[in-house]
Amino acid sequence: MYDFDYHRPASLTEAATLLARDDNKPLAGGMSLIPSLKLRLNRYAALVDLGALQEIKGIRREGAVLVIGAMTPHAVVAASDEVRKTLPALADLAEGIGDPLVRNRGTLGGSMANADPAADYPAAVVGLGATVITNQRSIAGDDFFKGVFETALQAGEIIQEVRFSLPQKAAYAKYRQTASRFAIVGVFVAQTAGGVRVAVTGAAPSVFRFSAAEAALGKRFDAAALEGITLNADHLNADIHASAEYRAHCVVEMTRRAVLAAL
Amino acid sequence: MSLAPKSTRIGEPVRRKEDLRLVTGKGRFSDDVNLPRQLYAVMLRSPHAHARIRGIDSRKASAAPGVSAVLTGADFRADGIKHIPYNVFTLHPAEVQLVNTDGTPPFVTPCYSMAIDKVRYVGEVVAMVVAQTIAQAKDGAELIEVDYEVLPAVTNTIAATQPGAPRLWDEATSNVCVDATVGEGKATEAAFARAAHIAKIETWIQRVTGVPMEPRAAVGEFDPATQRYTLHAGSGGSVRLKKDLALILDVPEEKVRVLMDDVGGNFGTRGMIYPEFALVPWAARRLGRPVKWTCERSEAFVSDFQGRDLAVTAELALDAEGNFLAMRGSNIGNAGGHTGSFTPLQKGVEIMSSIYRMPCAHFRARAVVSNTVPTRPYRSSGRPEVMYVMERLIDIAARDFGFDRVDLRRRNLLKSSELPYTNPFGMHYDSGDYHDAMDKALAMGDYAGFAARRAEAKTRGKCRGLGIANYVDTATGAPRERAEITVHPDGRVDLVLGTISNGQGHETSFAQLVTEWLGVPFDCVRLITGDTDVVQVGGGSHSGRGMRMGSVVIWNSSKQIIAKGTRIAARLLESDPSVIQFDNGRFITSGTNPSVSLFEVAAAAQTLNDLPEDLRGPLAAFSDEMFNEASFPYGCHVCEVEIDPALGTLEIVKYSAVDDVGRAVNPMIIHGQVHGGIAQGVGQALWEQCYYDPASGQPLTGSFMDYAMPRADNFPFFDAEFTEVPSTTHPLGMRPAGEGGTTPALGAAINAVVDALSDYGVKHIEMPATPERIWRAIHHK
Repeated sequence: MYDFDYHRPASLTEAATLLARDDNKPLAGGMSLIPSLKLRLNRYAALVDLGALQEIKGIRREGAVLVIGAMTPHAVVAASDEVRKTLPALADLAEGIGDPLVRNRGTLGGSMANADPAADYPAAVVGLGATVITNQRSIAGDDFFKGVFETALQAGEIIQEVRFSLPQKAAYAKYRQTASRFAIVGVFVAQTAGGVRVAVTGAAPSVFRFSAAEAALGKRFDAAALEGITLNADHLNADIHASAEYRAHCVVEMTRRAVLAAL
Repeated sequence: MSLAPKSTRIGEPVRRKEDLRLVTGKGRFSDDVNLPRQLYAVMLRSPHAHARIRGIDSRKASAAPGVSAVLTGADFRADGIKHIPYNVFTLHPAEVQLVNTDGTPPFVTPCYSMAIDKVRYVGEVVAMVVAQTIAQAKDGAELIEVDYEVLPAVTNTIAATQPGAPRLWDEATSNVCVDATVGEGKATEAAFARAAHIAKIETWIQRVTGVPMEPRAAVGEFDPATQRYTLHAGSGGSVRLKKDLALILDVPEEKVRVLMDDVGGNFGTRGMIYPEFALVPWAARRLGRPVKWTCERSEAFVSDFQGRDLAVTAELALDAEGNFLAMRGSNIGNAGGHTGSFTPLQKGVEIMSSIYRMPCAHFRARAVVSNTVPTRPYRSSGRPEVMYVMERLIDIAARDFGFDRVDLRRRNLLKSSELPYTNPFGMHYDSGDYHDAMDKALAMGDYAGFAARRAEAKTRGKCRGLGIANYVDTATGAPRERAEITVHPDGRVDLVLGTISNGQGHETSFAQLVTEWLGVPFDCVRLITGDTDVVQVGGGSHSGRGMRMGSVVIWNSSKQIIAKGTRIAARLLESDPSVIQFDNGRFITSGTNPSVSLFEVAAAAQTLNDLPEDLRGPLAAFSDEMFNEASFPYGCHVCEVEIDPALGTLEIVKYSAVDDVGRAVNPMIIHGQVHGGIAQGVGQALWEQCYYDPASGQPLTGSFMDYAMPRADNFPFFDAEFTEVPSTTHPLGMRPAGEGGTTPALGAAINAVVDALSDYGVKHIEMPATPERIWRAIHHK
């Protein structure tokens, strides 16, 4: 890796000041950032380690809303009684991320800010219509992910917490790539107060909502409702692991499995 | 499976004495070697699959902080350093030689450790930066400006043979380096003419890579006082590495010393010398300081030699009853950017017919260069490829012409009474009971109950398939091996041997032999292998040769120790040598039963001054042997899979293996070899591939994110057993066990997948049989 300065701010304000500089980079769990530095794929003037910011860690419930701090590791989400009880789909999702090392270091906010096209959390954020609270504003989950490794976050903007409204039913179904075990396709299905949401990760440059499936499931929330529903492969990812055509098929199949799991 | 050992002798599952050291981080691998004042090397590698080097400007890099030198191919040549002495064929007398049909010699590429004027694959070394730290060397490497003229590239094996393909070597008239035929053309054509059925396959045994757990590393030293080079680097053998290094550095062999301790995996792809192994000692000489290089994993994916990559078309002729009449076809092996080894091509094509009765056969064998990482023998070099082809052909024949696949195998499988048997290519199979191995494997895999399991799976919407594969494996390798045994009076036994453990547990299994034959405690045996100043002779570890050859030279040495010891004991016991017996580490006279231990005898050899000349001094013996006969391990594997047709995903639900090892020294170690071998073979069948972008020649599998390694949770518990039919070409009856796990696994797995999909009319599926491939096959997409 290239040389960089290292800061470990004690407050969000201090962190935001440090991150106002374009060539500084926030460090959460570092599960994607550190390998990219080691491979010299990225270069930053400084890393701003958010690990000391207790105020953006932790899990709490506010009525029908589950609030998770951005710096909460996946393993904590997976093991949380509160999450297990109120939003088991999210606990399952967190439990299926990476391996134990990644789950102990990697965080909700880090995963979201990185916006890897195959990351799991974006499916939950969009699939549950969550609200992302930053140090500057509140962003609708649907508006947060903009493209490959691209989000709505501005310079100096730090995710503080994510507010998940509890759904009636929800499940996440992931079809893993053989080598990396990232999602070739991950589908988060939720029956919410605002209707059925189906969010797909892994299949396209960024998480997206599978509207045909949402419409069908909105009428009848069961697997049979998906009969005949297809997804256009035109804008889907294609690589050595899966063609766009196969991914399109897998999205439908994993949607079906997510519905079965949610019921 | 492996019960607790009853003793530390031959046949017992003795726990590996090296494991505590290895699992507690006390192994000493190449990267653990650090020398005072060492510098660090980083290799600048070609980003292009094929390009002419118009110039290299290293001025900025040379001036960068901490950089001691930037060295290029021009420096290498200017210093008179030689090309890599590749031994492209195995010249073992038991093997069939490939001779070009037109009488020309094979084209062997002149390969230097660094590119001279052209790069021929992504990852080829273009320059080496040596600096005070790795980071500084990397910084320096980024400052080197290479002016490339990018040329069209070809990576596909068949495409590379075409007349219009981009040509890699101006010295050759085409990319085809070898074009030979083996077998009998006329007889084969006649047999095909009268065949009732002809089964056909056209397939590509895809390119994979070895992925040893320990990446390569090398530390080079040069001592100006003695003008001697020292290389610390893990490999498949120290002596061969020393010889090759001396040739490259153009010095006498005694001016080179190679040292290695633990080596974390070989699989053949690590078995031969690497360009970097010559670069670091050379740089050390130029710079007057030790130079260290450690390969990073991403670097390994473009610079570790790769394996397989064989394009095959093959046909099997049968009569109306299903008797095999003949085989014919064509094999094309992809050597990569340089011709490092044609051995996989050679060792495959000579046993295309496996252990079946095959009256005649005729194959064309070609090797071709392409813009890919050079290939080398990879676990069971050439044989898994052709066993897969044969076992597929049998299943295809059974299906297309209405034979039962087990009956068809039984009908044609050689019987014990037919052995020894010369196959249609000229290979002499020694001995075995092939039918017994298949019967056992079918019983273990509950073949009889498979139809019911398949029907039950269908009720759950799943497709079950069962695949069978018989195999034979030709074990040859470097034919010379030597053991030296010294019994020390203080209770130690030193065993010097020319093999190297790459994880196989040599410290344990060789100690078991010494325990058995010299009756000494297991823990007193010290195995010495990795220092060419001590180990003068030996071929290293490949082609199932470690135990096969090691056992014989250890046995011979042990016998000499006992013979010498008997004479010394006679002197000590004031008895006649003829009445002395050696039993469990003691020399005993019959009758009154006074005795002396081996170690007391060793002490006497050094202290008694009235012994005959040949008995005085350390109690030691050596055996140096040539092994000109091949050994033929064989067996049968049965694989059962269950496929989810909705996604094409697959689960291996059962895997049964029977491997004949002739005589088992350590059943636990053998099972470990078989388990790992199966994982490697099934890994190829289902997941692994080195992908190259066809247009640019860029490798697409540069990390574990894309290169799919088999993992423990991909497999059920293996049901592995071995049989022990003594090999008639081995004095102790042993057959190698290191490669058998892999050899049939490709065929067993793919036959299972195709069987599972038979309801969908699927007749064949290419490797790796990924979920998408399976899904496409089901939907005929």
